[in-house]
Amino acid sequence: MGIAVVAVAAALPFILNNFTLRTATDILIFAILASSWNIIGGYTGYASFGNIVFFGLGAYTTAICMTTLGLGFFPSMVLGGLLSGMYGYLVGLPILRLKGHYFAIATLGLAEATKALVQNLNITEGNSGMYLPIPDFSIDASYRFFYFTSLGVLLIMLLATHFILKSKFGYGLIAIREDEDAADSIGINTTLFKSAAFGLSGFFSGFAGAIYAYQQGFIKPEPVFAVTSTVKMIVMAVFGGIGSLWGPTIGAITIELITTYLRDYFLVIHTLFFGSIIILAILFAPKGIYDIFTGRKKLGIVYFLDNIRKNRV
Amino acid sequence: MLTQVIINGLLKGGLYALMAMGMSMIWGVMNIINIAHGSFIMLGAYITYWLFVGFGMDPFVSLPLSMAVIFLLGWLIQKYLINLVVQADIFITLLLTFGIELLINNLALVFWTADVRKVQVGYGAANFQFLGATVPYVRLAAFIMALLISAILFQLMNRSRVGRAIRATSQELDAAKLSGVRVGNIYASTFAIGTSLAAAAGTLWAILFPISPTMGGILTLKSFVVTIIGGLGTMLGPLVGGLILGIAEALGTNWFGSTYENLISFVIFLVVLIFMPRGILGSRR
Repeated sequence: MGIAVVAVAAALPFILNNFTLRTATDILIFAILASSWNIIGGYTGYASFGNIVFFGLGAYTTAICMTTLGLGFFPSMVLGGLLSGMYGYLVGLPILRLKGHYFAIATLGLAEATKALVQNLNITEGNSGMYLPIPDFSIDASYRFFYFTSLGVLLIMLLATHFILKSKFGYGLIAIREDEDAADSIGINTTLFKSAAFGLSGFFSGFAGAIYAYQQGFIKPEPVFAVTSTVKMIVMAVFGGIGSLWGPTIGAITIELITTYLRDYFLVIHTLFFGSIIILAILFAPKGIYDIFTGRKKLGIVYFLDNIRKNRV
Repeated sequence: MLTQVIINGLLKGGLYALMAMGMSMIWGVMNIINIAHGSFIMLGAYITYWLFVGFGMDPFVSLPLSMAVIFLLGWLIQKYLINLVVQADIFITLLLTFGIELLINNLALVFWTADVRKVQVGYGAANFQFLGATVPYVRLAAFIMALLISAILFQLMNRSRVGRAIRATSQELDAAKLSGVRVGNIYASTFAIGTSLAAAAGTLWAILFPISPTMGGILTLKSFVVTIIGGLGTMLGPLVGGLILGIAEALGTNWFGSTYENLISFVIFLVVLIFMPRGILGSRR
């Protein structure tokens, strides 16, 4: 199954035109982000509302490495991932002591603070933004380059997550999600585990930011650190199925296709539709489409009404 | 010079306090972080603007009107939308209110365009001197109005039946249910009061600053900051937090420059969250 999906994904660039391939690349970038969010939000149970900060740091690190330091793209991308990962780990140590809403808004504040810092630094050229070198291959080749790079990063991260979940570290994270005090009492170093999970989430998000920056050729603080993108990756993870390996990717494909379609056909009111989709998805399928299609006996209206019945007052 | 900065900060802080009071109430009672809070501030501001442009109604007169309209809107949204998922995981309500924010902001953008507008009251420039600082009457009036509304809310929460029911629900949900409190309606009322406070802040904001459909995002974030600084679960928290943030921002931008305003508030926010997560006046829960 998995091999078939990968084969189809690898064949896509030779079927799709450049425009559609670009959409496919966007989907992959969001799949990386949503899957990264899943590590901290899904497996560890800490709902981060600031994961976009890692994307932004990855993008800016890549831009600085490629222009000021004159490095190539791949070393810059790895540095971007490492820096975002370090940031996640170090910042995670203090803020992961907060729980629930407090953690959520602390991460939101962290993302906003980092954005405000980037807006004021000289090395990031403040609000005027940064240009990156243009890739020196043909247009067709560059579309394929970004597609395959994103696909490669996504597959490596899913593979890594797969193995992590079967390791002591992975079980530790799930134990923390289920009951943190109990996890602590059986000897799991919860602070270290949580921070490592946040760092790992940041590490992979940084790669996504690097690819985005090089593909765009120009980055600015506002779109790169937009809160909306954090929410988008969470919606993808929720819609696809939180805490499952493939869920966020499925969510990214679905949500990104819908939003791209809406943006193309209803430019002025596409966020209105996106807002409505979020509301409907939250109301009727809070456990994601993964849950709808796997081992559900009752489908249809009863399933949706059941979800509501459980959580209302 | 410094007196002027501090007075400016203090007067703006009154508005922050009013905004945060609504957010803190919704958060404290229902454990909902209302991401759409800024959108309700924006709606309040626009109601005031249109009443001013259309009927020449003074903003201080239209204030109760704008609060009433948003009260109703907030009541309906909580009763028929948020109540459906209020017991779910925390990020579910966060996402839901974010969806509501997108919806409201996009509608505002479609109907009212992205133009920046301003309520130009005739008495806007009148001012007096105080300790060597210039204080516009309208800013002082907005500040006093913010404090007055807070005081009324204080009385409402402490003395009225609804206030008692809201506090009971927030302290012990099941016990409140057993005592005959209709939780669904109390939640709707709480949300409605919270959003009408946002609308009041929006009205006062429109008198002092330019408004646009996208003004709400940063004000939502500022309301978080104030709520956290002051601490959840007390009525005085948002007031203290608002004044602190107002003065800190004014002093910070005075020393570092106006582009640092947001950085200053978020750094204060993170420091408070990490070192005293219950805030300055927060209660132990």
